[in-house]
Amino acid sequence: MKIVAPVSRPEDVAPLAEAGADEFYCGIVPRDWTERFRSSGVNRRIFGNLSTYEELAAVADQAHARGCTVSLVLNAQHYAEEHMAALLELSERFAGLGGDALIVGDVGLLALLADEGPRLRLHASSLLSCRNSEAASLYAALGVRRVVFPRDVTLAEMADVIAANPGIEFEAFVLNDGCVFEEGTCHTIHLPGRLGGPICLDRYASAYARSDDRALSEDEAAALAANDARYEEWLWYRFSCGFSTTESGHPFGPCGLCAMPAMAEAGMTAVKIAGREGPLPRKLKSVEMVRSVRDAMADGDAVEFARGIRNRPDLCDSGYMCYYREVLSPGTVALPADRPDCPTTVRSI
Amino acid sequence: MSLGMTLPAEPLPQPRAGVAVSVVDARRVEPLLNRHAASRLHFGSEFCETLLPSPVQLRSVIAGAGRRGVGLTLATPMVSDAGLRRLRQLLPLLPAGAEVVGNDWGTLALLHREYPHLHAVAGRLLCKMVKDPRLPSAEWARLYPHGVHSTPFRGLLARLGVRRIELDAPPFADAADFRSPDFAVSVHAPYGYSVKGRACRIGSLNQPDGEKFMTGHRCRRECLTYAATLSRPEHGAADLATFQRGNTVFYRHSPAMAEAVQAAVSQGWIDRIIVSGDWNEDRRAGQ
Repeated sequence: MKIVAPVSRPEDVAPLAEAGADEFYCGIVPRDWTERFRSSGVNRRIFGNLSTYEELAAVADQAHARGCTVSLVLNAQHYAEEHMAALLELSERFAGLGGDALIVGDVGLLALLADEGPRLRLHASSLLSCRNSEAASLYAALGVRRVVFPRDVTLAEMADVIAANPGIEFEAFVLNDGCVFEEGTCHTIHLPGRLGGPICLDRYASAYARSDDRALSEDEAAALAANDARYEEWLWYRFSCGFSTTESGHPFGPCGLCAMPAMAEAGMTAVKIAGREGPLPRKLKSVEMVRSVRDAMADGDAVEFARGIRNRPDLCDSGYMCYYREVLSPGTVALPADRPDCPTTVRSI
Repeated sequence: MSLGMTLPAEPLPQPRAGVAVSVVDARRVEPLLNRHAASRLHFGSEFCETLLPSPVQLRSVIAGAGRRGVGLTLATPMVSDAGLRRLRQLLPLLPAGAEVVGNDWGTLALLHREYPHLHAVAGRLLCKMVKDPRLPSAEWARLYPHGVHSTPFRGLLARLGVRRIELDAPPFADAADFRSPDFAVSVHAPYGYSVKGRACRIGSLNQPDGEKFMTGHRCRRECLTYAATLSRPEHGAADLATFQRGNTVFYRHSPAMAEAVQAAVSQGWIDRIIVSGDWNEDRRAGQ
């Protein structure tokens, strides 16, 4: 399986390729876009983008020099009519710079690029929420060469979709993306922190009621409170265990490392490391981890190797750090009584 | 704790638009049809494949709609291949001319290829708009214009045989938001949806800790019993009223949004209002 890594600066390419990345993806918010539309909405992320075409050309050149490919993300939640010509133009420009593929999150743009766009590979972004074989077949009919699965799909579901669509490639998340909801059905904005931030990180209080108008019993209220406490705990794991790393800098979950053997067996083409906006050390440690598991797959028990890679079996055993928790046997899932502390807290990741 | 809400605060648009009532829980179809003067039943969940009805339930609902002489729309969610298999058991039961709302591109493709006698509708999960109940001003909404009316998006829907789209009223809505050159437009009222997950908070209530919030986890359909109001003590003074039902976060229309919907109805740009029957914050809805 290929390792797909994020870059946000040309300087990221060489060390990440050296660490084992096979493919790169990046976003760009060029000045002509912000001047025209007064927004940075070329893609899903406000941060972690290149800002000039010169940087984009440098990323492509450096990647190709190392035998790697580069994909450009066009994965805003959606695009409006006024964006379409500008996106076609940007795609043509990327093709002219030697780009390899476009990762597209809007189905209308996908159809437009297939009909009128440059001769670049088209990848269906996770924003297109491909959860079934029919959707993958439709995207293939629109010209897609690779489908990126959304995070909330099981290994068995992915295997079914891959088996039913032998003519295209598939890619799955393996590290670092912590969305709580499904990206493809999220219609909110990552607001600035002073306004609450992303909705999944916002501090909402919940007050429950029954739909039949009966009052909650004490037992019900207690069960709901206990469930919410676990939910808060899950959010902590889901957001990289409090945005922390191991002492050696390896980021905690979300993680699918121990699912890689199952993915390979299912015919997955590539695994994706999320986090364009992260610093280079985090990206490097992420690529190192994925590569070491891939290497271990050739040697023996990669599942156990993956579970030991951070030397925190307690966090792995919780299951709450997992993208694909079904890899764990039900009997092995063990949440600690109290939320564990992590050795290093790095808010900047 | 109370949801603090009985009936929708905003008047629903009346003139020149048909009214459908949406119902997720098959047990509540009859009382809700009794309660609302609707010409159409909009049955099924748009948000969770666990809530797909059984063939027995759907047969009963079809029969009930037929007895009352109301049209039938089957709403469907995003689905896995297992969900598609369940849909393949349901779709043959529908009478010719029934509507099916697809909230999944695979479902729309399936409908187009194998069930051309059914009317495909593009659901609100596919018709994307920014619908963040926290937006502090209309300027934020203008920075992210809607995608649902773009030429290539409309072209793809047409290729898939879609003739109707379903929309929400977005925060800071304008009547023109609902104007489609190609499709009949239904609008859900008085609630819009903002975001949904697959891991379900309330659906994990009765699961062992190790299986809570897991992709594709089991549940006891707790969403049919509980809903939660959501509030942001730090930032949320100006938020739209927000609540969570099942895996989905919803907001209630503001008076200005309701006026925009009303204006679009008056212009003929919306020809159907889908009134939220049981999938809302209204505690009396199911009674």
